[in-house]
This record gives sequence, C-alpha cells and structure tokens, in this order.
Amino acid sequence: MPVKVIGLSGSPHRHGNTETLLDAFLEGTRDAGASVEKVVLKELDYSACRGCNACHKDGECIVKDEAIPLFDKILDVDCLAVASPIYSMGITAELKGLIDRAQYIWARKFILKTLYFTNEHIRSHKGIFISTAGQDWDYVFDAAFPAITAFFNTIGFEYYDNIIANQMDRWKGVKNHPTALAEAREKGDKVVRAIEGIRQEAEAKGK
Amino acid sequence: MPIKVLAIAGSPRRHGNSETLLDWVLDEMRKEKDVEVEKIALDEADVRPCKGCNACEILNECVQRDGMDVLGPKITSCHVMVVSAPIFCMGINAQTKAMIDRFQVFRSRKYVLKVPVVAPELKGKRLGVFLSTAGQDWGHVFNGAIPTVKCMFHVVDIPDRDIHYLMVNKVDEKGAILSHPTAKQDAENLARDVITEVRARLGQ
Repeated sequence: MPVKVIGLSGSPHRHGNTETLLDAFLEGTRDAGASVEKVVLKELDYSACRGCNACHKDGECIVKDEAIPLFDKILDVDCLAVASPIYSMGITAELKGLIDRAQYIWARKFILKTLYFTNEHIRSHKGIFISTAGQDWDYVFDAAFPAITAFFNTIGFEYYDNIIANQMDRWKGVKNHPTALAEAREKGDKVVRAIEGIRQEAEAKGK
Repeated sequence: MPIKVLAIAGSPRRHGNSETLLDWVLDEMRKEKDVEVEKIALDEADVRPCKGCNACEILNECVQRDGMDVLGPKITSCHVMVVSAPIFCMGINAQTKAMIDRFQVFRSRKYVLKVPVVAPELKGKRLGVFLSTAGQDWGHVFNGAIPTVKCMFHVVDIPDRDIHYLMVNKVDEKGAILSHPTAKQDAENLARDVITEVRARLGQ
C-alpha cells in the first residue's frame, strides 16, 4: 500500500509562496511513490471552534460542516503537511480555525480517554509544517510552532520536520529563493522513505 | 476630555472566562466619571479574515466591506484599546486572529504608505491591554499568542512599553475564573493603573 500524504494549504491567497512550497513538497512525496491529496482550506466550508466544550461530554463536535470529514481523512493518512504563511507573527486565521476544531479529538484523548495513540502509531505518522514569511527575522516562525506542536500531538502525529523560508520580500518570492523549493522536494522524498522504513521494520519484527 | 476605552471581547463563547476578566476591568473603569467605555463582542461584529491580497498597500484601505469598517476608526481613535481572547490549542483563538490579520491595512499605512495611523495628538497617549485565559496550567501557554498581540498593538501606534497584560491560566470550564484567588482583584488594579497612566499622559 502506498504511503498516504495529505497537504493542507492554509493560505487565503492561491498559488502564493506557501502553497508553491507545499506543492514542491508534495511533488517530492509523489515522486517517491506516495498517494497524495492537497486540500485548499479557503475552498472548504467550515467555521472556527465555538469554544462550547460540548465535545468534552461525548467526543463529538456539534458543528456539522466540512471540517469533520477532513479530520476523518487526516486521521487516515501517514503523513500530514500543514502549510500556512505567517501573518502577524502567527499562522493564518483559516488554519488556526481548523486546528481549533480538533478540540473534539483532544477531548477523546485527554478527557474521555476513548482514544489512545501508541508510540509506534505516532512514530509512523509524520507531521510537517510548511511556512513562508516576508520578514527576514529568524524568529518570525517561533510563535507559530506551539499551535502546530499541539495540533500534531492531539491527532497522533510525530512533529517530524519544518520546511520554512523567510525573507520572501528580499527574494521576491519563493521561486527565486536559492534553496527552498529543492529542500521541500527532498524532504518529501525523505519522509516517504522514512515511513516505508518504519513499515519494513514492523513487518520484520512481525515475522 | 473624556478618556475613550474601546474593548473587544474576542472569544466565540459569550460571557466565558476571558470576557468575565474583561468585564471586571471595564466595570472598574466605568466607575470613573471621565471614562467612556465601549465594548464590542467580536462574535457579533462580522469581521472576516484577511485575504492576503496586499491591495491595502496601494489602496490605503481594505477591499472587504464588513464589520472592520466600523471597528477600524474606533481602534485608531481610542485612548485605551483592550482586547480579551482565550487560548485555544496553544495560540490565540481563530476569531481574534482573523481580526488581528485585518490590521494589515494599518501596517500598510504605517510601513508602506508612511501615512499616519492615529491622529498626531493621540501619539504616545494610547495604551493597550491584553487579557487572556487558558485552560492549561502551564506558564508558557500564552507564549504563542504574545508576538501576535504585540504585532496588533504596534501597527496602531501602541509600542511594547505601553501594553499591559493580564493572563490567567488553569481556567477552562465556563465560570472557572469566578473561583480564581486573585484574578478579579488583579483586573481591578490593572484598570485603575491604566486609567491613571492615560490621565497623566493627557495632562488631566
């Protein structure tokens, strides 16, 4: 079975720097033999979390929209790439809106304790954060990491790597960046091979 | 001159912990005769996310027509801007993040078009207050939100030294803040300190 990869594009801006970087990553995974899907969040119909905590009682979200089937898909893949540009030192409202909706999965894990991910499961499910920023500060991504870390942790993925490039204003776009796109393609290849390696290890142990 | 306080309750949950913290601050401020308080619930303000189109760098305004048309002038003309928001998933909640991203138009004015964001007589006389609550008991639970909050205040001419914070962790279920040992007192003290400071800056 091929390694399943899903890439979420959290930018409101189609085919911009972040989505282009995500595309390069996905191309790398496809070339390595993965089955790949890309989801553009701005084209989905979902609302942000209401903070009602109803999910703390039964592990279900009361908001029935396109976020729920998307989470079903996310929980079914081996590799999840989450892409967002940096706006105001954080991820976009579109991506944060989706991440906040994972509260019902968090509630299953930590309140109801009906969901548990083994270490093996976490190790074989890889999460990648992809981002670009106009600013040249190295710390421009720092405030985005805690939400991404919490998200991968909630859904049972290992936070495997970042593909991030700043100074978009200086380079006049990711296409002119000296290394970013090649690095993204390489990391796509690498993560698929890593997941395949873990599968082979598990099979060898099983025998 | 009355001191104008604009308060934005950023939580999608009405009258929850972060909004209660805000109400404590505002109730204390309202006791002062020279203070005018306006409170807006972001959940009812119809503010959509930024489209990332960068048109504001040329047009000096946003291409979207929504609640931000009403909110924008209030934000740039108040003396004290208070924002309350809960922490969801280690960051500021998405609804508040959407509003902050719309401050891009102020950023364009300040750094690209280089036109004034606030009236000259308000410069150096504005204070910001950020109030937050989080369920987790980790002290670092607010760290992801603070840089975004700073961005928000900076682009409307409220520098770091003029931002006041009150962030209360370990309050999750609705009403949990009511049994917090110090939050109400801290909120009232903060309110008095902020009004005293603005009066001094205005020479009142």
